[in-house]
Amino acid sequence: MIDASHGGDDIGAILPGRVEEKELTLTLARELRKQLEARGVRARLLRESDTDLTLERRAEITNQEHAGLYVALHAGLPANGVRVYWSAMTAAKPKTRSLIPLWESAQTESLGRSRSMASAVADQVRKNDLSISLLTAPLRPLNNVVAPAIAVEWAPSPADLKPPQSAKVTARLTSAVAEAVARVRASSEGRP
Amino acid sequence: MIPRHFQITLALLLLAILISGTYLVRLKRREEAFNRQSIPTRPVAPGEMGKQEHIRVLVAYDDDLALRWREAQVFLPSERTARAKQVLRAVLAQYLQSPSPHTVGKGADIKEVYLLSNDTLVVDTTAQFAAGQPSGILLEELTLTSLIETLTANVPGIARVKFLVDGQERETLAGHVDLMPFYETSAVHELVKEFE
Repeated sequence: MIDASHGGDDIGAILPGRVEEKELTLTLARELRKQLEARGVRARLLRESDTDLTLERRAEITNQEHAGLYVALHAGLPANGVRVYWSAMTAAKPKTRSLIPLWESAQTESLGRSRSMASAVADQVRKNDLSISLLTAPLRPLNNVVAPAIAVEWAPSPADLKPPQSAKVTARLTSAVAEAVARVRASSEGRP
Repeated sequence: MIPRHFQITLALLLLAILISGTYLVRLKRREEAFNRQSIPTRPVAPGEMGKQEHIRVLVAYDDDLALRWREAQVFLPSERTARAKQVLRAVLAQYLQSPSPHTVGKGADIKEVYLLSNDTLVVDTTAQFAAGQPSGILLEELTLTSLIETLTANVPGIARVKFLVDGQERETLAGHVDLMPFYETSAVHELVKEFE
C-alpha cells in the first residue's frame, strides 16, 4: 500500500519554490507504483488525487486490505537527501496483553520486519547514489498499521526540485524503493 | 423671621447628616478592623519564581539535525508541576530567541502542566505551539524529543508525558509526529540517541 501523505486541505510541508508536500508525495507515489509493477509487485495508492484522507482512515484501509507492506511517502525539510523511518513505538504500552491488536500499538508485532524493510530500502537508496539517513520516528499512522510499515521522506534541495533534475531524482529514489521491496519479497518467498 | 416649619426641616436634615456621618465612620473602622484581622489568615499562593538553578537543556539544531545539551539558568520552584512548567519553558526560550537554532511558532508556550499520577504528566501548550510549528517529520520530532528529554533530566520520576494543544487532544504536532499517545520517557531517551 503506497500512501501519498497529506492531500486536500492538508498541504504538509512547504518546500523550496513554494512546492507543497502533498503534490510531491503524489508524484512520488505514482512513480513508485509504476516501478513496483514493472518488477511484478502489485501496488495500490491510498489516494489517487488531491483529496482529504484522515490518518486514521489511511491505516484503516491498509489494515482492511491486508496489505503486505505500507509505505508512506513524505517530502520535507531540512534538505539532506532521503530519510527512511520505521516506527519509534514511544507510546506507553498497555498493561494487559490483548489477542486483538490495539489501535495505538498495532505495529508492535511487525516492528522487526519494518526495521528490516527500512534497512533494505536505505541500502538500495545508497546504491543509487542518494544521501540517506535511517531513523525511527513517532510518525502517525505507522503505529496503527498491522503490516510492516515504513516512511520514505525525500528532503530535496532547491536544485532537486527544478526540472529535469526533479524527474531524475524521483526516478532514482522510487526505483531504489521498488528494487528493495521486490528483493525483500523475493527472499521471503525463497526466490533468488 | 424664619418660618417654624423651615426650622424643623433644617434641624431634621442636620440630624440626618450627623447620624449618616457617625454610621460611615463606624463602617470604615469596622472594615479596617476586618482587614487587619483577615490579612494574616489568607492563604498565600506558592511562589512561582523559586530559586535560580543551573539546568541542562537539550537543544535541537536544525542546521545539522542534532540535539545537544546546553546549560541554562532558570528560576525553579520546588513544587513538581511548577518546576516542570519552567523547565519546558526554558527549552522553548532557546527556540524563541533570535537567531534560533530550531524554529517554533511565535507565542509557543506552556499553558499548564498537570500531574495525573506520581509519574504521569500532561502538558497543555498554547495554540501557537502547534500552529507555528514548521511541518516536517524531523522538525516535529526534534521539538518533542528535546522537550521530553529536558523534562526527564530535570524533574525526576516522570515516566509518561502527553501533550495537549490549547486544552484539546490533537492527532499530530504539524501533520507528522503523533501527539495522541502518552510518551514513554525511557523510549524517548532511546530516540534521542539517534540525534546526539
